[in-house]
Amino acid sequence: MKVAQHISRRKLLLACSAVLLFVPIAAAQKAPEPKRVLAIYWDNKDFRGNVIFDEQFQKVLKSAPFPNLEYYPEYLESSRFPGDDHVEAFYEYLKRKYDDRHIDVILAIPDTPLNFVLKYRKDLFPDTPIVFNATKPPGEAEYAVTRDMTGIVVQTTHRETLDLALKLHPDTQQLFVISGSLEHDHRYEATARQELAPYENRVHITYLTDLPLNELITTTQKLPPRSIGLYVWQKTRDDQGRILETFEVLQRFAPTASVPLYGLGSGNVGMGLVGGYVQGPDGNGKRVGEMVVRILNGERAQDIAIEPAPNGPMFDWRQLQRWAIDESRLPAGSVVRFREFSFWELYKWRIVGVIALFALQTMFIGVLLVERRRRKRARELLAQLNAELEERIAARTAALDAKTRELEAFAYSVAHDLKAPLRGIDGYSRLLLEDHKDQLDDEGRSFLNTIQASADEMSQLIQDLLDYSRLERRELNPHRLELQPLVKAVVEQKQHEIVDRDIDFRVNVNGGYVMADANGLSQALKNYIDNAVKFTRDVSAPLVEVGSRETPGGCLLWVRDNGIGFDMKYHDRIFNIFQRLNHSEDYPGTGIGLAIVRKAMERLGGRAWAESEPGRGATFYLEIPQGTVAK
Amino acid sequence: MTTTFSPILIVEDRAVDLDLTKRAFARRRLLNPIEVARDGEEALAYIERWEAGEPTPVFIMLDLRLPKVDGLEVLRRLKNHPTYSSIPVIVLTTSAEDTDINEAYRLGCNSYIIKPVDFNKFMEVALQVEVYWGALNRVLT
Repeated sequence: MKVAQHISRRKLLLACSAVLLFVPIAAAQKAPEPKRVLAIYWDNKDFRGNVIFDEQFQKVLKSAPFPNLEYYPEYLESSRFPGDDHVEAFYEYLKRKYDDRHIDVILAIPDTPLNFVLKYRKDLFPDTPIVFNATKPPGEAEYAVTRDMTGIVVQTTHRETLDLALKLHPDTQQLFVISGSLEHDHRYEATARQELAPYENRVHITYLTDLPLNELITTTQKLPPRSIGLYVWQKTRDDQGRILETFEVLQRFAPTASVPLYGLGSGNVGMGLVGGYVQGPDGNGKRVGEMVVRILNGERAQDIAIEPAPNGPMFDWRQLQRWAIDESRLPAGSVVRFREFSFWELYKWRIVGVIALFALQTMFIGVLLVERRRRKRARELLAQLNAELEERIAARTAALDAKTRELEAFAYSVAHDLKAPLRGIDGYSRLLLEDHKDQLDDEGRSFLNTIQASADEMSQLIQDLLDYSRLERRELNPHRLELQPLVKAVVEQKQHEIVDRDIDFRVNVNGGYVMADANGLSQALKNYIDNAVKFTRDVSAPLVEVGSRETPGGCLLWVRDNGIGFDMKYHDRIFNIFQRLNHSEDYPGTGIGLAIVRKAMERLGGRAWAESEPGRGATFYLEIPQGTVAK
Repeated sequence: MTTTFSPILIVEDRAVDLDLTKRAFARRRLLNPIEVARDGEEALAYIERWEAGEPTPVFIMLDLRLPKVDGLEVLRRLKNHPTYSSIPVIVLTTSAEDTDINEAYRLGCNSYIIKPVDFNKFMEVALQVEVYWGALNRVLT
């Protein structure tokens, strides 16, 4: 009771779910009925041939425009499960499994599944067209079941393959044909013998059939020169009794075989065969797939011609290398597999690129290195030139200094020596004037006066030159100097003339100190005052003022007069040696005074300059770099 | 009555300067005889003569630029002499070089006078010398 209740509740739930699900299902039903393809393979799913076939086959199906194609692979596996019971069970299984759906195309690979399909067709899929991949074409018995079928028939290619091999190895004398089956029924040998009969007078043919694996290996190691091998098909068991598939057998003996091996199956290319006119699951799967697509598109199977399985020349590149076979000798349309690209072939452009990059970098680095070297050289050269230049400057400076000292010494001694005859001229003209004036007339006396005046002038000139020259040569002795007494001392030297000329002479220097050489500063100030006194000669109320002021640059001293002044355009000239603005008759002087001032100030690190206007007096300045001035 | 006056020694190589100096002193009407050495060697030769008994000068006027033996060397020898270092030496020279002035004073010169060009100033020098070294004898005018 309880159980029944439970069941009915589940049914109810299912019904509800069904109702809920119906909406989308109903919508989906409007889409076209899916195309369904059922494939029945002989061997198990993992069988290598099936895997390759299935892959190619599905590839074709997927590229066809069927939006909802359903593909059902099934595996008869009668070799693993021999006996009619198993076949029967497989039939039951299929019947129940596909009871509710319509299959559009049945695929049978190879003969055994085809026979199965034909046997149970009426019961399982009575109207479904059949596409097969068989070793022999359907005969009357098959067509009696249905004509609604097409497919490909695998044909042996012994002759084509042998032709190919003989072409590549023209000096072949012997051919060894390798085959075998678990049943030891020599069926492959029989086919081969039949096919190769016409070649027997051309090459000596030896059939190595059903050799145990070890024997096969040792035998093939010692096959004579000018021989080739034809590997047909061999299944065998290893020492442990495990079944070795045909490609596995090939893999065992091919590496040590002393002759090049050719074969018929595309699946064996890559396992040790040089190549051959091969066919196999890859080509078959593709061709069968194309047929299935045609049928799904509406063609009738019986309208599609049964074809031989596609075959063609195929080679293993590695084996071509092993047996030194030039690719150019292969027939047109040959497929060469397992090409091992050399590192160069694989990465040619990358290598070229990298090398180019390296080359570029190397070049760049080279250029940089060269540049660096050139710079270094240039720097060294420059340093050398600089050093040489400095040496030369030092040498030249030393030479110039020596020359200057020499010139000054010369000027000094010349000035001295000039004074000696002057003393004579002055002395004796004066003696003449004083002791013998009675013997001279007025003109004679006037001449003597002129001689004396000239001698005075000459003497002053020499004295100024000596002062100027001494300025340069004398060692500076900067001291802390009190300004007021220094100015006072200088002014006192002129006191006599100031009083005589009734000059209004004002000194507005209240105090303060400067760091300077007393002689140099006194000399400069004296010359300024001399100048002021001299050029106020013709002024009615001569006025000279000495003043001082502190400046950012140090200490400023000035001598201001109300004399004749000068045009500022001559400013620089008046500070040069022997530059005069006035006729010496008007204002006697040697033209050295201001040059001495400027030189003295230069030596003190200061400046000398003037401000003036013609007829409005002049102010001459001295700037001493270090100093303080009382306000 | 003859009184012997101490001489004045003038060491001077230039004839003009020598003559002017002599005349300047002559203008002051000095009675002191003037002795002359025309170069350094002659000046130094006087030392032997004084040692031999000749009268030593009341002062020496010494030029620095002298032939044969330099004026400073003459000064050095005089001032190093045990006896005659006390004779006043007045350097009368054209050189206004600091080095000459300093060296002359260091060696013991009593006065350093730069030769003036102006004859009147020469006269002043003569006056100063006379006043300063008052032991000079003058003819009253």
